[in-house]
Amino acid sequence: MAEMDWKHTIRDLKGVVLDMCGVLYDSGEGDGVAIDGSIEAVKRLKASDLQLRFCTNETQATREKFVAKLGRLGFDICVDEVFSPAPAAVTILKERGLRPHLLVHDDVVPEFDAVEKTDPNCVIIGDAADNFSYQNLNKAFQVLIGLEKPVLFSLGRGRYYKEMDGLKLDVGVYMKALEYACDVEAEVVGKPSPVFFQSVLADMGIQPSQALMIGDDLVNDVGGAQSCGMRGLLVKTGKYSYRWCLRPQFQKVTAVTPSAAAHAFMPRRLSVATSLSDHSELFMVTEEKPRDESSCTDACIDSVPGDVTRLTQWVQNL
Amino acid sequence: MAARQRLKAVLIDLSGTLHIEDSAVPGAQEALSRLRRAPVAVRFVTNTTKECKRTLLERLCRLDFDIQEREIFTSLSAARGLVERRALRPLLLLEHSALEDFSGIETSDPNAVVIGLAPEHFNYETLNKAFRLVLEGAPLIAIHKARYYKKKDGLALGPGPFVTGLEYATDTQATVVGKPEKTFFLEALRDLDCQPEEAIMIGDDARDDVGGAQNSGMLGILVKTGKYRAGDEAKISPQPHLTCENFPQAVDHILQHLV
Repeated sequence: MAEMDWKHTIRDLKGVVLDMCGVLYDSGEGDGVAIDGSIEAVKRLKASDLQLRFCTNETQATREKFVAKLGRLGFDICVDEVFSPAPAAVTILKERGLRPHLLVHDDVVPEFDAVEKTDPNCVIIGDAADNFSYQNLNKAFQVLIGLEKPVLFSLGRGRYYKEMDGLKLDVGVYMKALEYACDVEAEVVGKPSPVFFQSVLADMGIQPSQALMIGDDLVNDVGGAQSCGMRGLLVKTGKYSYRWCLRPQFQKVTAVTPSAAAHAFMPRRLSVATSLSDHSELFMVTEEKPRDESSCTDACIDSVPGDVTRLTQWVQNL
Repeated sequence: MAARQRLKAVLIDLSGTLHIEDSAVPGAQEALSRLRRAPVAVRFVTNTTKECKRTLLERLCRLDFDIQEREIFTSLSAARGLVERRALRPLLLLEHSALEDFSGIETSDPNAVVIGLAPEHFNYETLNKAFRLVLEGAPLIAIHKARYYKKKDGLALGPGPFVTGLEYATDTQATVVGKPEKTFFLEALRDLDCQPEEAIMIGDDARDDVGGAQNSGMLGILVKTGKYRAGDEAKISPQPHLTCENFPQAVDHILQHLV
């Protein structure tokens, strides 16, 4: 039963993996903006006995630059705790003797400094933003179509992300474009690739069932993690859209009540408090004393594409 | 081979089949003249989205092809028809030269996106604009979904990859009005009093020209000019009725075997 599963999970929980953009902060002008409560939440997680890692598909900067930015926003994070696609891609390139043509953001190019790039035999695309010009895409296409065995790596496969001035197309869109143009299938490096999640778990030395992934992207964060046997928690900040609850697999749910009710359930070490208001939900981790069993409710969407029974029960309990 | 009805119409692709940019395929003009002496109707069908009919006609006349404007059927005309029928106000991602075929259509406060081959609009900013409209519910209309086309200096991305990307971004499906959609071929034959089984298509794109035509009931001839690459004939099922070197050879075959 759903509630028993969740409580078992929390009892066995040894590690938490946090997505970054949309969970910790929203990107945009300058460094962006920290999401209310997230700085505190990270502090509390670090103070607990859980292991903590950060998993991002961020490819608009090197890890060092990215972590420095988060430091300026007030977060206490170090480079070794962060897993991102570019370093993972470099490992793959070395293992397979590949030389990439890069279509990536200028600021992430340094991650590839140690890699041979002349006479490319593969193409790597990342979240290149304004570098996604027709000319640049065409160059990447021409390299791919000219290879006897076209190899395309995509650093993530997200559809879009939220910036302060609106939603913007993510790398997955251009991955699909090149896949279609060349009739090839890209290899995804980063979320939701199982290999990527497994490398984080290996670093923590824990089993998938002992890990919780928290993210704002239903498919790439939560879906990807759950496919590896991890637990997933969807937060309603960042790119989250209530429309996801209207998709066919959630059709029995009429609406998520937009009231400000707080629901908490108390495993032994941690509580997850979620405040449900319209579409600006915060994720806060607090340490509180256990309450009695009857006040506990299952406050997360725990399965993707959607265990409708659990979800319906959850909504009815609101 | 099963007996087929007598051939009544020949559909001919333009770019890559009759000409490559500003050069005619050698012998094509003369082959067209020979074809016209046979009792078949001729139509020139194209997915070209960069150019309006008048521009296409001017180029073909400069290359000494004997063609009339009314014989040209483009996916732009098909798109305009759809926009008018549904009274839409489109954001037009089209080359400037194609806009003439949309004159008179309201484009302010857009509630639809029409996307053709428009490299100048396939930048990050404009695609984001189109993406946000479609995400909010605007229909996405694609002139066609060609993967790439041949330029003098190599292959270049067509609109198909960008349409596919937007479909993925918005989790929607575009309405495609150009080749290889069945409706395109049927529309092209509409005023010829001709069933698909009585028509044949000649083109350089295995999927979009030949595959599309054969799917709608026509025969298809694949020519090895333009964007053709070795092995393309094996990429469609059924394979082309005929694969030959060029348009003149295709005409030879028609005149010898099908008329």
